Amino acid sequence: MLKIFNTIKIKLQSKHKKDYIDIFVKALFFLTTLISASFIVIIAIFILREGIRPFIDDYDGIGRVNLIRFLMGTTWLEGQTFQSNLYGVGFIIINTLYIAFLSLFLSLPIGVLTALFIAKIAPKRLASVLRTIIELLAAIPSIVYGLFGSGVILKIIYEMAKIFGVQSKGGNSVLATVMVLSLMILPTITALSEVAIRSVNKDIELGSLALGATKTQTHFKVVLTSAKSGIFTAAILGVGRALGEATAVSLVAGNARSGPTFAFFETTATLTSTMLQGLKETIGIDYDIRFSVGIVLIVVILITNLTLNFVKKKIGNVYVK
Amino acid sequence: MKKILLVFLLALVLSVSACTNDDAWDSSKNITVYTRDTSSGTRAGFMEGIDFSDAAENDGLLVDGFLIKDNTGILSSIEVDQYGIGYISLASLNDKVKGLQFEGVDPTKQNVVNNTYGLKRPFNYIIRSLDDFANDTERDITLAFVAFLNTSDGADIITNEGAISLSSNGTWDDIKDQHPVCSLDNSSITIKFGGSDSIEKIALALTESFAPKCGNFVPEHEHTGSSDGFKRTQGSEKDGDNYKHVGFASRPFKDSEVGSEGTQGQLAWDAIVVIVHKENLVNNLTAEEIKKIYRGDFLTWDELL
Repeated sequence: MLKIFNTIKIKLQSKHKKDYIDIFVKALFFLTTLISASFIVIIAIFILREGIRPFIDDYDGIGRVNLIRFLMGTTWLEGQTFQSNLYGVGFIIINTLYIAFLSLFLSLPIGVLTALFIAKIAPKRLASVLRTIIELLAAIPSIVYGLFGSGVILKIIYEMAKIFGVQSKGGNSVLATVMVLSLMILPTITALSEVAIRSVNKDIELGSLALGATKTQTHFKVVLTSAKSGIFTAAILGVGRALGEATAVSLVAGNARSGPTFAFFETTATLTSTMLQGLKETIGIDYDIRFSVGIVLIVVILITNLTLNFVKKKIGNVYVK
Repeated sequence: MKKILLVFLLALVLSVSACTNDDAWDSSKNITVYTRDTSSGTRAGFMEGIDFSDAAENDGLLVDGFLIKDNTGILSSIEVDQYGIGYISLASLNDKVKGLQFEGVDPTKQNVVNNTYGLKRPFNYIIRSLDDFANDTERDITLAFVAFLNTSDGADIITNEGAISLSSNGTWDDIKDQHPVCSLDNSSITIKFGGSDSIEKIALALTESFAPKCGNFVPEHEHTGSSDGFKRTQGSEKDGDNYKHVGFASRPFKDSEVGSEGTQGQLAWDAIVVIVHKENLVNNLTAEEIKKIYRGDFLTWDELL
């Protein structure tokens, strides 16, 4: 045993063998990268295989789902669950995007201002406490947000609707969904914006102050402008989370079966909440169609991210270290 | 942006302070209809109970703007929504909502067991004719299983799965001496269970618990619907490839489904209760009225008072 160990040791010491180890480590890392990267392919193949079935399989006489109709539909399902091919997600796509961007609209300003406060204004002690709190907020599982939503936010929305003279459906509404989602993406946006704000070159800031600008002017006009690329990244990730969130949304959205819905107190549905609905119990075409919705969701997220990235590039990068 | 935020915050504060609602229940308001999704067995039982079976798997027949929630979702929504109506399994009824009388009968476990509460369905079982088993061991295990259904051990499992068990007679330990077959090693014996898929969950839980108590026999489940319960034990398919030792039906046996004596029985009730908000003035609804609410013929509570 000792002999083998010594031989290895000697081998390690020789320069040639060192190169050998280098190659081995490289290969190992390449292998791990390959494994993690291949999961995306495996998942994509799995979802595609299941999700394409409704458009090509006949399901013993029920018939294929018409792709155009599916993408343009304004009712989730016409007819009986296990015996109809008349599914449509058009209105749900619109609902999903509407809700995601409303949530972003609500949480982006709050998140960015919080980040600015933590990074630039708050005393060091307070800043680190606040940062921990924000991190804790990010660590809360989505089902807890969902329960909080259905237990607290729904009640608030229901009473709020009354003040506006609307009879809301138990609070299940666009507004409730947007509030829950805003809460969920807030920590993401705050944390990333803070990093962006911190990495703004100190010299620009000092320059601004030296030119006689007040601290507030500097923060808003110089720091935030310089960090806008990073803030935009935060927004992109926020939208991504809002689009993909399922558990919490399905508890407060009301799962409307037709649409689209734009009114704040009306019930709505998102792609994810539709996929989740009855997933454990359903079979046949009604099960497979959920994978088709999954494909639509992936495509929607992809397109949204690409668009936002394009916009981000247009905005450009200013003096970030 | 500042203004929008301010207005929003103001509205939030206002609404929180308004949470102590003291405004009276207003019967001219619209009814909010809550339902389970189309794959739910409770929905199927409910729709059947109010004579609206077509709507069990078809959302298109329901009133416009209905809401889909699961059991707990309906329960917590009705707590908040003063004008909502929904249905849940009787096991989950609590005093935060109002469980309505059905055709004038209170939704209590007692009324379900004494067969006066109407919005329910029986969970029945049927076994092969006693002289129709391939061998004595299979027959004895099947009989032991039926005896197990009536013990408190069996009743606990049924209750856990959300149904209402019938009165039980002692524990399995009390009666296991009457079933000597269970003290043998039965791991080579397969007992086949089938019939109603609504009972599948309960049947699985029952056999999972019972098999170790009875010589580790192998339970095989294939649940394909209530009609196969009789057909595959004593009916036309009893000697076919997919014969069963025990069949289940989540409805009463029909006149054409009478088996030989002592082979049929009931293991549980599945009861559903219609719930509304506590302030709701309605106390009693008939099957017809509920159907009309879910179909959209009645849109406001006024029409029901």
